[in-house]
Amino acid sequence: MLPQTMGSETNIKLPFSFILFSLVALVLSQLLVLVNGQMVVNGSFRIPAIWSAAHLLVLGWALMVAMGAMYQLVPVAFLTPIWNEKFGFIQFFVTAIGISTFSWMLYVSPQNALIPGILMLLGILMFLIQMLMTLRKQAKPNILTAFVGSALVCLFLTIFLGITLIYSLQTGFAADYYQAIFKSHLLMGVTGWFTLLIFGFSYKMVPMFSLSHDFPMVQALYVYGLYISGLVITILSFFNGNHYLLKAGFFLLLAGFSVFSWHISIIIKKRLKKKLDNSFTFALVAIGLGNIVHLAAFMALWSVPNSLLIGPFVYLYLLLWIVLSIMGYLYKIVPFLWWTYKYSKEIGKKSVPSLKDIMNEKIVVPLFSLFVFAVVVVFFSIILESILIFNIGQFVLSLVFILISISILKVLKK
Amino acid sequence: MNLKDKVIEALKSVYDPELNINVVDLGLIYNIDVADNNDVEVTMTLTTPGCPLHDSITRGVRYSIEGIEETKKVEVTLVWEPAWSPEKMTAEGLRLLGR
Repeated sequence: MLPQTMGSETNIKLPFSFILFSLVALVLSQLLVLVNGQMVVNGSFRIPAIWSAAHLLVLGWALMVAMGAMYQLVPVAFLTPIWNEKFGFIQFFVTAIGISTFSWMLYVSPQNALIPGILMLLGILMFLIQMLMTLRKQAKPNILTAFVGSALVCLFLTIFLGITLIYSLQTGFAADYYQAIFKSHLLMGVTGWFTLLIFGFSYKMVPMFSLSHDFPMVQALYVYGLYISGLVITILSFFNGNHYLLKAGFFLLLAGFSVFSWHISIIIKKRLKKKLDNSFTFALVAIGLGNIVHLAAFMALWSVPNSLLIGPFVYLYLLLWIVLSIMGYLYKIVPFLWWTYKYSKEIGKKSVPSLKDIMNEKIVVPLFSLFVFAVVVVFFSIILESILIFNIGQFVLSLVFILISISILKVLKK
Repeated sequence: MNLKDKVIEALKSVYDPELNINVVDLGLIYNIDVADNNDVEVTMTLTTPGCPLHDSITRGVRYSIEGIEETKKVEVTLVWEPAWSPEKMTAEGLRLLGR
């Protein structure tokens, strides 16, 4: 059993509650996609089963992991303790129940998802209050605060737009803008919230895990300016239907992401640690993959009727950039949490294991490589509309997620 | 071996669990003061402000010195000025990083 408190350190029950819940949601989401393969291959992304699977993956897994990690990382990155830990536990239960019932309702009766959706909204609002109160105490806001703060604003907009969509389904409210609201919901959730959040924390974690020193930070300002402008202009284009504006928005997003990739490569070049950990290397690979998807999405605007590719591209972006990044960092965060709980009182008294000893590093390369391969297979199965290839790819992917979840849980036995 | 040497030896058993290098070779220890009555005061830093291992490492430093029989009171002071830089590492520390 985990202890209630650990002196001045984080009560690890809080981040772990989020992480354990998220692993269950992750496996369930993949199994849902697996049993609904025929629909996906036929290009039917906007069906209840896929809505349910997508929200289980994005909210049940990625959002819950991000929240759990933030409870751990915000005090570290911003040098300020979490505002209220007890409130954090209440927030966990409200959000967990909200996401579970919301995903279930999307599957069985989407038009009745409003009440669970509101419960989920309440949980997320509680999280936003927690973070707002925590960040307010920060002595000196910096560029990280701008990234994380903007990500939280995007998260709020995502949820607000999502609730508007359900309300629109029920009542016909703003029916003329349904498509624009839907696209904005997708953009705010995927690129706004997750990408900005990963950008922000990467600036803390990349130098930490590579022991980089003496690198410039001015590029971060350009990343922030370009990416935020891209988000705003893209949303405007959704509402006024101007194709040139859409291209300009996508170009700015691509430019922002490219400057971020370049900046991270500068930080990595300045590193002292020659050999990087495998899971962290995959988190860096995810940046390159995210950049490629941004480039491909921008190019697709000029050549292909883009509505055909929205689904597959969102899928690629979610899996190869967001999921892979989070997974890579999770392999660093979970051992750290466990080490802190189990060994931080022993250090200096007797020999304690290193973080590397706690997580099985050997499985990372084959498992994560298989993950990337399976995602690419699924992507092409959708493009080629082949149910056989889809089932192979998705089966492998589900298996990889189960193995990753088991390997993370095994840390708790070390 | 005088007490200061014993303290340095004890500090070499305190490892940064992320880098797997001890605090001495990492260049985190700025100063060790041993008083006549065997009170020990250590001034140290960390590689980055907001290091998540902040509490663990400073606590480990204190425990390791308290484990030496002759020591009386142990005080560990964490400073950020001067900031840590790679030049502060020992040759062994750099070697362990693959440099």
